[in-house]
Order: sequence, then C-alpha cells, then structure tokens
Amino acid sequence: MSAIDDLTAELARLPGVGRKTALRLTYHLIKAPAEHAERLARAVIAVRERVHPCEVCGNLTEDDPCAICRSERRDRTLVCVVEDAADVGAVERTGEYRGLYHVLGGRLAPLDGIGPDELNVLPLLDRVKEGDVAEVVIATNPSVEGEATAVYLQKLLRPLGVTTTRIGRGLPVGGDLEYADGVTIAEALHNRRRLE
Amino acid sequence: MAAADTRAVVLRTHPYSESTVIARLLTEDFGVRSVIAKGARRPKSRFGALLEPFTDGRIQVRFRDDRDLHTLAGFDVGRSRQGIGRSLRAFAGASLLAEILLRTGTEDPHPDLYAAVITCYDALTDGSEPDAVALGGIWSTLSVLGFAPRTDQCIRCGRDIDPGEETGFDPAGGGVACATCRPRGRRLDGVFRRELDALCGSGGRIEALDDPRLHRELLRAHLIAQVDQDRPFRSLDLFLDSPA
Ligand SMILES: [Zn+2]
Ligand SMILES: [Zn+2]
Repeated sequence: MSAIDDLTAELARLPGVGRKTALRLTYHLIKAPAEHAERLARAVIAVRERVHPCEVCGNLTEDDPCAICRSERRDRTLVCVVEDAADVGAVERTGEYRGLYHVLGGRLAPLDGIGPDELNVLPLLDRVKEGDVAEVVIATNPSVEGEATAVYLQKLLRPLGVTTTRIGRGLPVGGDLEYADGVTIAEALHNRRRLE
Repeated sequence: MAAADTRAVVLRTHPYSESTVIARLLTEDFGVRSVIAKGARRPKSRFGALLEPFTDGRIQVRFRDDRDLHTLAGFDVGRSRQGIGRSLRAFAGASLLAEILLRTGTEDPHPDLYAAVITCYDALTDGSEPDAVALGGIWSTLSVLGFAPRTDQCIRCGRDIDPGEETGFDPAGGGVACATCRPRGRRLDGVFRRELDALCGSGGRIEALDDPRLHRELLRAHLIAQVDQDRPFRSLDLFLDSPA
C-alpha cells in the first residue's frame, strides 16, 4: 500500500470523513509546508499520550484530578452524571452549572453488551458515600436507554440518602446531549425534577 | 426505485457515522431488515430523532437487491416507547425480546409476529406488571415463532399430564417431563404450568405471577437449549438480575 493510500484509509476511518474528503485532506497535507504535517502528527500522538480519564470523575484530562474536580469555585455538593466525556463539554458550554461531574462511560444497552458492570458506577457510589454530595443530577440522554440508566442509578443512590434529580423538559425526546444547543441544556438543567 | 411502505418497530440502532444511524427493524411486511438512516443523528433530523429502540411507525424504505442494507426514506412515528425506560424490568424484557427477534428473524412477512411484539411493547410502555408482561410478550412471541414449550404431554414418554400433577422441565426436549421420566430438577406444579400456558398465549396481557423468578429462570433454560445456538443472549443477565 502506498503512503497516500495509507493516510487516506486512516483519515477515512474518522467519523464524518468519507473517502473523497480523506483524499482531499491527504493531498492538502502533501502540498502544505512540512511543519504543518509534523505539528498534526505530534498533536495526534500527544493527545493519546497525555489525555486520560480523571481518576475522580472520569472526565478527559491531562492532570489528575481534572481542573473541574480541583477547582475551589465549584459547588462540591452537586454532582452531574453524564454518559460521555463529550457531554461534560456540552453542559459546561451552558455556563449555568457550577457543580462537579461524573462520567459513566456509556448507558445501559444490553444488546451492545453494556450492562451495569460495564459502567463507571461504583466510583460514583463511593463519592456519594464520602458524604459531601447532597444532590446527584442525572443527565443521561433523553432516550429510552438513557432513561433506563437513570432509573438504575436512582435505585442505587436512594438508599444512600442523597437527593436524586433528573434533567427536565427542553431536550428533544430521543435526542443526544452532545448535539443539543446550550440554551436547551440550560433549560433542561433548570427544570430538573426529583426522582422518587 | 419506488419506496416500499410498511409498519415497523425499531429493535436496535447503532451510530454509523457522525450523522448516520443503522437501524435494525422488525417490519410487518418484510420481516427483520437493516436500514441506513442518513442524517438521523442531526438534531433536526426528518426522522424526528426518534429512531431508537422500541419506537414504531410507518416507514418508507428503498430496497436494494444487491445488498443487505437498505435505505430508510421516511419514518412517521406511531408510538415512542420512552416509557419502557422507566422500569428496568420492562427495559430488560423489551431488550431481550428485540434480541430474540434479531436472532430468529427472517425476511418473510409475519403479521402475527408483528402484532405480538407491538402488543408486548404497548403493555410494557403502559407500565403495570412489567415482570409478567415481559414474560408474556417473550413467550407469546416464541410461540408464534414455533418455539413454544410442550406442557400437556410428557416430552419423554408422551403420557398426558394431569392438570394437578407435579412435573419436571426438560429444556433440551423443549417441554415438561413427568415424574417417572425426570425425577430430578426444579418442580413445576399445576399453577405454574397454567401460568406458562397463559404466558404463551397472552400476547403480553397477563395478571401478576405467583413466582416470577422461577418463570425467568425457566425462560432462560429454554432459550439456552432451544434458541441461542451457543451464542449467549446479551440481554439475559439484565433480565434475570435487574432490580424490580
Ligand atoms: Zn475530574
Ligand atoms: Zn414421562
């Protein structure tokens, strides 16, 4: 396989990049100054070497714990549970939320082989048992799987005596937090309801 | 090529690219099919972002003879079944039913099968007795598919079973075995067998069960012996163990 074919094939594996776009990007990198391509290559390697899940919350970070977990200005009594690290960014962009996070690393999806044991749940329970957390906001996606995951978490959290809320109206049913706009997420956070 | 129009229920979806979803559907007229839904992950998708498990509706699909992946041209949502997510038992049962359909499905039209599945998903969405409803939906679907267990005669010797007598269950044989033929294993009394018959014919509508745990375990044994062909059902663990 030639170097051109090789890079094109790798680029075409990226989400949203088709064969044609991959070829265009490859030729762009060949024609651009050599240091552009080198910077890109170094950035790809660096991101894989340095970025990892925060040992406390599971958010992607270069430091342990992450900047949000270390911040003195966050409300440590509030923990927002999301499916993926990308959802942390989505909630942060609203500027409306001042608490901490917990990233599950997915949602209950039995057909994909994702059961309770595959999710980052036990560390969440440990955080709550440590005693500082007063409210857990469950911000899994408003899909049938996200809803089932919320119900599951609530069953585990209730005996620990913590208030459990679920983000509310505003999000399109069947939608995905990552793709919702900031106003919508802010509205949904504001309208969170207590899980009984 | 003109799009075919049929009713369908979503069994499973997975993202294919940033904007595209592949969905596996049970259709009324074309059995189990895989379709590609372009743009389905965009917030303002014409598929209404409701292309998710257990939702049903009318679909328009362009079939391609040369491949197994067809193109979803339209989806008019009939009923979203978000409510299934509000009970873990309902969610686990609905997932297991979907998995059974994906495993056993053919491309033939099967209106009875479609009706049994919709009845079950409707009842699970409505929320009462998710244990019994999920078991009823799964057993009645298995019956429509020809996997019903034999309960009126001993699977080993062929003797008629008395309504009141205790029997065993022979998963490999696919039914009950009389005390003479199978003295070991779990005991099923007449009440349990009547419940099992009711579940198989219920279409998902049934009263509360005497011992739902035993029913789930029996279903598990039957699925493993009769249906799974050495590929374990991934939803089974959640179905057996989910808190009520
Ligand atoms: Zn952190
Ligand atoms: Zn016998």
